[in-house]
Amino acid sequence: MARKQRKQSAGKTEERGVRQAILWTAIAGLVVICSACGLVYWAVRQASGVRLPLGREPVTLQVAYSPEKGELFKALVAGFNGSKAQTGDGRPIRVEAQELTPERMIQAAAGGEFHAISPDSSIWLDVLDRAWMEEQETEVGLVGETVRYAVSPVVLAMWEDVAHQMGYPQRALGWEDLLVKAQSDPNFRWSHPSTSSASGLLATLAEFYAGVGKTRGLTEEDAQAQATLDYVGALEKTVRYYGEGEWAVVQQALSEGRAYLEAFVCQEQLVVYFNQRSSDRLVAIYPREGTLWEDHPLALLELSDLSSDARQAFGLFRDFLLSEASQRQILAAGYRPADLSIPLDSPDSPLTLANGVDPTQPQTTLQIPSPSVVEVVRDVWWYTKRHTNVYLVVDTSGSMRGEKLDNVQVALGAFLGSIKGDQERVGLIDFSHEIKQFLFLDELGSNRGELESAIAGLEAQGNTALLDAIATAYVRLQDMEDPERINAIVAMTDGLENASNIELGELAERIRAGNQQGVPVVIFCIAYGSDADFKTLQAIADASGGQVRSGDVTTIEELYKILSTYF
Amino acid sequence: MNRTRLIFFAVIGLALIIVVASLGVRWLGQQKAPLVGPAPETLEVRIVCALPVEPWVREAAKDFNAQKHKLEGHPIQVTVIPMDGLTAMSRYEREEMNPLPTAWIPDSRYLVELVNAALKEMRGRDVFLTDGEYRARPIVLSLFSWGIYQSRAEVLRQKYTDVNWQTIHDAAMAKGGWPELGGDPAWGYFKLVVPNPHKNVGGLMAMVAAAGEYYQKPRIDTADVTAPEFQAWLKELMGAVTDFSSLGAYSVENLALFGYSMGDGGQLLESDLLTNMAGIQTRWEDPLVIVYPTYLTWFDFPFTVWMGPETTALEKNGALEFEKYLLSPEVQQKAAERGLRPANLEVPLTGEGSLFVRWQSQGAMTVVPRTTAMRPPDRDVLLALLRWFDLNIAER
Repeated sequence: MARKQRKQSAGKTEERGVRQAILWTAIAGLVVICSACGLVYWAVRQASGVRLPLGREPVTLQVAYSPEKGELFKALVAGFNGSKAQTGDGRPIRVEAQELTPERMIQAAAGGEFHAISPDSSIWLDVLDRAWMEEQETEVGLVGETVRYAVSPVVLAMWEDVAHQMGYPQRALGWEDLLVKAQSDPNFRWSHPSTSSASGLLATLAEFYAGVGKTRGLTEEDAQAQATLDYVGALEKTVRYYGEGEWAVVQQALSEGRAYLEAFVCQEQLVVYFNQRSSDRLVAIYPREGTLWEDHPLALLELSDLSSDARQAFGLFRDFLLSEASQRQILAAGYRPADLSIPLDSPDSPLTLANGVDPTQPQTTLQIPSPSVVEVVRDVWWYTKRHTNVYLVVDTSGSMRGEKLDNVQVALGAFLGSIKGDQERVGLIDFSHEIKQFLFLDELGSNRGELESAIAGLEAQGNTALLDAIATAYVRLQDMEDPERINAIVAMTDGLENASNIELGELAERIRAGNQQGVPVVIFCIAYGSDADFKTLQAIADASGGQVRSGDVTTIEELYKILSTYF
Repeated sequence: MNRTRLIFFAVIGLALIIVVASLGVRWLGQQKAPLVGPAPETLEVRIVCALPVEPWVREAAKDFNAQKHKLEGHPIQVTVIPMDGLTAMSRYEREEMNPLPTAWIPDSRYLVELVNAALKEMRGRDVFLTDGEYRARPIVLSLFSWGIYQSRAEVLRQKYTDVNWQTIHDAAMAKGGWPELGGDPAWGYFKLVVPNPHKNVGGLMAMVAAAGEYYQKPRIDTADVTAPEFQAWLKELMGAVTDFSSLGAYSVENLALFGYSMGDGGQLLESDLLTNMAGIQTRWEDPLVIVYPTYLTWFDFPFTVWMGPETTALEKNGALEFEKYLLSPEVQQKAAERGLRPANLEVPLTGEGSLFVRWQSQGAMTVVPRTTAMRPPDRDVLLALLRWFDLNIAER
């Protein structure tokens, strides 16, 4: 019995062995056949010279876009990439989009970083061509084929009841009404972005036109006449503060509501955007003297190394943006689509009086001056704008050692470089557990070099007495009693408060009281790196009506540049 | 030999056969005729094309490529590069057209003559021909005509009876703007639309047409355009243009996209006006009317093959194949549907889908009466106008 069982067992083992041998032989055979087929494919490919559709390298189109249309543009790019577009020879096309302010976009475009750009206005294309032709000593510009896929007029966004008080809608309001209101009502706060965005530039041009009393034919002489400068200066003094662009202003208005501003300059689309998300209601005022348009061009850059693949990718992306589906998506986002066959008054159009906008407006526009006049206006604006007293409060505690401090030094330099007006007053407080350097406020025309040296000499060491440093800057600004200027603090820290004498609650209370009784001081806080105490910074910013931004070693320079636009 | 070994040797044998066969193919491929013959090289035809006809030419190129036309066995692939005529002219003259296109469709024949004249000095030979098989040949035509918002045109007609450069000049000069002319105060000042002549050759044609009417003659010379009285008059006229920035390169598109807010009207290309009429009615409450001027200018969009040695004979002939295709009745009919006047006279302007018929009520005409044709200006006139524009308008 046992023998029989052993025999059966041996038989089963042998059978299993045979099966395994067959299996392994079949696998080995398949591997050999696959290799052989690969060899055949290679041989045929070599022999015929035919390129078979394997290993297709994708074509990437690099596009820069301006921030105010970020949400829409990203959605359009995602739609395009999802459409699996291909070149004529079957290679997949992909669009990679990067958000940049128009000024930065122009620099990057001239440096060959992009195949195409989509700023907020065609005004920047002229600026780019002009800069390119000067730099390259050529008479041929860089901007090639250009299409517009969405347009939106620049308007004054105003709370509905404020507009009603000013006579809307019975009376057509204009820039002049804004000036009268801002000068007669000290509680009226308004804002326009700096001239580094189209809406800011267009608002500034409108002020100059109003100052000269023209709607066309603005000359360099007009822009520099003392009477114009006085007019614009008086209007600019009523601006609460500037900022990086209309998108940031709308976001701020959404988070702070009516407490933020009474009016601000932005494109019409953002009024729709706001009203669709808020219970408060804005209306778009189309200034009766005339306004200007943001036309959102997509422009191909004719760089010498532009490949035919990139050109083809541009063409397909252009066609996608102009397709009916994309154009309807653009309308749904509150823009006026470039496709004129799509009516603005269709049932699903958000361009309605209920959303605060009127698609039959504007009735008239201001004349766009020549690039040289625009340049003069941008330069002169630095003298007419509301000036600033700003303290840079910089954490140089031990944790800032190394790359962190190196990059902050570069960022602080960039901040100073971005503020072109020599009349702006900037001071510096460098602190760890105590204040290590204190450079009092002075006009940049006098202390720019001193500030640069101080920044170059920053050293990381010690604990973090953030609250004491901010309190010191705040007291200094209150002591100056200078309501004519924007008073601000830009405070940066990378860690936790651990060495101040003043408590957070006490500082916040002091800021609230001081801002009500004295001059308003706005505090912008930078939470630098993941260890920064965001909650403390938020409490300080909230007390002053400011903001907190997060940054790291890679973004800190851009962040300081952005904050510089508020001054 | 058991079953396992049998299978093993069979697989190895099969693989060996495949390997030997593939090496054989490779050897044959190296030695003489390949087993799979090389695909005939694609014949690439690159065409630089004027902006007003580019959408039509691009669509035609797409269809042409899809139809897989061949020349001597080579498939022809047409690529269209949109470029304003003046920009292209400048690039040709500076030899910055890299790579050189196989053919050029500029706005007007006189641009071809100007480039030819400039390059002949450098190369000692014609690069574009005026006769023979490769001569520059118009593929469509389009006239310049006034396009004005109807509400504004009615006010102008009441005030001045006629719409012409002089009445437009007077409207532009009205210090009180539209109220002074009898229009709505909300309209602001009279706003003229003229494209930037550096970005759109239509702007240059507008100035030539204005000069023709100013002097009441069809041929304009340098003395005419440099006369101080004329320049003062032209400056006043151009002062009413809202925008000469990059935005201003697309004049009729702007008139439609931004409506009467940016321009009340201007002398613009008829085809551009016709293609935008429907969109303007959809977007704005006010339709556009078309008025034909007494002194008429036009674009003839000549198809022009580059004759230099940079392109091969086969490529030149490939371009001619596409030219023939563009002149075919079917493709010419599509041009008429885009408001362009066909160069192929077999194709009527009144065919189905004709924009000329559709917009007759708004002033569009298939046959234009009582006009004087402006003669093409010579190079010096154009350069004088551009120089004047740079000094007086671009830097205003």
